[in-house]
Amino acid sequence: MAVKEDALTTAARAIDRLNETIGHAVAWTALALVILQFIAVVLRYVFGVGWIWVEESIVYLHATLFMAGAAYTLLHDGHVRVDIFYREASARDKAWVDLLGTVFFLWPVSTLILIKGWPYVWSSWAILEGSPETSGIPAVFLLKTLILVFAVMMIAQGLSMAARAVLTLRTTATDSQDNGAP
Amino acid sequence: MKEFFALTLFAGTCGFLLAGYPVAFTLAGSALFFAVLGNLFGVFDFALLGALVPQIFGRMTNPVLIAVPLFVFMGVMLERSKVAEDLLETMGRMFGKLPGGLGIAVTIVGALLAASTGIVGATVVTMGLLSLPVMLKRGYDPKLATGTICAAGTLGQIIPPSIVLVLLGEVLSSSYQQAQLKQGIFSPETVSVGDLFAGALLPGLMLVSFYLLYQIIVAWLRPESSPAITDEEGTVGAQGLIAMGRVLLPPIALIIAVLGSILGGIATPTEAAAVGAVGAALLAARRTDPRARMPVRVAILAMVLLLVLTHFFDLRLGRHEIPMVENLAIGLAVALAAALTWGVITAFVRLGRVGILADVTRATLSITAMVFVILIGAALFSLVFRGLGGDDMVHEFLHGLPGGVIGATITVMAVMFVLGFFLDFIEIIYVVVPITAPPLLLLGVDPVWLGVMIAINLQTSFLTPPFGFALFYLRGVAPASIRTLDIYRGIVPFVLIQAVALIVLALFPALAVWLPKLIYG
Repeated sequence: MAVKEDALTTAARAIDRLNETIGHAVAWTALALVILQFIAVVLRYVFGVGWIWVEESIVYLHATLFMAGAAYTLLHDGHVRVDIFYREASARDKAWVDLLGTVFFLWPVSTLILIKGWPYVWSSWAILEGSPETSGIPAVFLLKTLILVFAVMMIAQGLSMAARAVLTLRTTATDSQDNGAP
Repeated sequence: MKEFFALTLFAGTCGFLLAGYPVAFTLAGSALFFAVLGNLFGVFDFALLGALVPQIFGRMTNPVLIAVPLFVFMGVMLERSKVAEDLLETMGRMFGKLPGGLGIAVTIVGALLAASTGIVGATVVTMGLLSLPVMLKRGYDPKLATGTICAAGTLGQIIPPSIVLVLLGEVLSSSYQQAQLKQGIFSPETVSVGDLFAGALLPGLMLVSFYLLYQIIVAWLRPESSPAITDEEGTVGAQGLIAMGRVLLPPIALIIAVLGSILGGIATPTEAAAVGAVGAALLAARRTDPRARMPVRVAILAMVLLLVLTHFFDLRLGRHEIPMVENLAIGLAVALAAALTWGVITAFVRLGRVGILADVTRATLSITAMVFVILIGAALFSLVFRGLGGDDMVHEFLHGLPGGVIGATITVMAVMFVLGFFLDFIEIIYVVVPITAPPLLLLGVDPVWLGVMIAINLQTSFLTPPFGFALFYLRGVAPASIRTLDIYRGIVPFVLIQAVALIVLALFPALAVWLPKLIYG
């Protein structure tokens, strides 16, 4: 394998680093979620107080956790696979599955979410949509924007995954045909 | 024509899934592929896909599902901080001297972990790593050892609070409403996650007792397969007992508090999960850092005193007139809340210093995102399947079956059982249940009973060779000296026990229905 890094590797590495950083930051919303929900419980059961903005920020944190964290999960191969065959497959076959799956499943679906989500989010931004509750958080448009963020991040992480698959295919093609992980 | 597309969509997706690309995107991607194909042939209307984005937003803002990351956090915290490990070791020492004692200990710990985490993969892996070597060293039959671990590890699906039941409850409640609306009932009865928790408790305990009974019978019939610990560590003095209590009681108290507050109708699953997550963090801090013991004690004491205070005084703020005594009590409560805050924050800081906290939040992120991305993928799949008329087809098929309700229920259970070989429970709950549950409920099946049956059925499916997930998880951590065939053969008795449990539950639905009725009326 050539030592020189090509554009593909560079791009994949940059995307991975970005999503790693984002993932580590977003993970803390899990802690915030736990603490805030706990505070809400104490306030409600001890002091009989329930603030709508507390309830709503819990929802915001929860949505952020998985919408902005999905790409990090993909980076770490945390999305469940049916691995009856995949687990035993050669590095080359795995690379094919990852490449074709990204091109035919991940990208089209993310693109669909982008296309369908765009007008949905746009119309929310147009009126700076707030909470249906009077004292709620006036940022539903931001919450909805997470849908687009999710789609874009998934497309990007898919690019990294596909790039790595291509690299694997390229390097193993020059080595032996089977069992080609260097 | 339409039906043909619906069928090929289903079959095609199952085929694609076997390739091994992440399930969430395979579900969504093959659905999209068939939507495009159906559109070309004029049997699918693209406008239907417009519902996808609002549905995603609906899942983002669904308050019931917030319980999922909280329970995940709780479980991962207990696992990473080795609280779960301590539990297993202590139980082993407690029961080890009896014949079959280690198997009994593993079963009980499995049930306890199930009640506290409900993550099947994590439980099987943890117990496989910790107890399998011990059992083998003590001369346990590898078949019995692996079977016990797999079966006990999957109890997390059925023993509440479990994530499976949270998701199932959410799906069943909308299916139930749909079914009643179709019958012309416009003020429909509801079924909640709490109902399912209550419904699953007795059947879950029944399963545990079946497992235990099996351990005892095997130890009696074939003592060589499950020998007792005989050496010096078997002796436990008074001091040993106190140490055991220290390890065992806090997690058990935590589980009882979480489960009790849900079943007692005091708290919603989400609220109880938050308390459970904080409680798990306190136990974890106490376990990992001796300096955290004081703050943890303060926090727990403050929590208990707050509970007592709430019981005796009306502490609600924002009233017009508050009597002097209650004002004092409120002042005290504020002080206690401050102490609680200090204790909890200190515990989290300690966990942060040793690196456990970052680890736990990242694992929580990964597992939560994995679950919810499948929900998004399943949403697209269901939209396309419906758009192709697939649900009407299933509906007609189930109604046309001989044997009425019973025939339809058995068919659905059989289909889910087989699908359980290929799909994880989340996909089945979000893809298969919304399609098959409404027709069954229309036929008059009780939703809680159905939910519990589905949960046990899927649990069985995950145990059944050659495809059961639990077996894969254990294979991944078992030493090479254990043959895969041993694992397969070891699980067979437990699969039979599961089948017996299903039959018992089918014959005596009251096992599932009685407790929710008692609690929620």
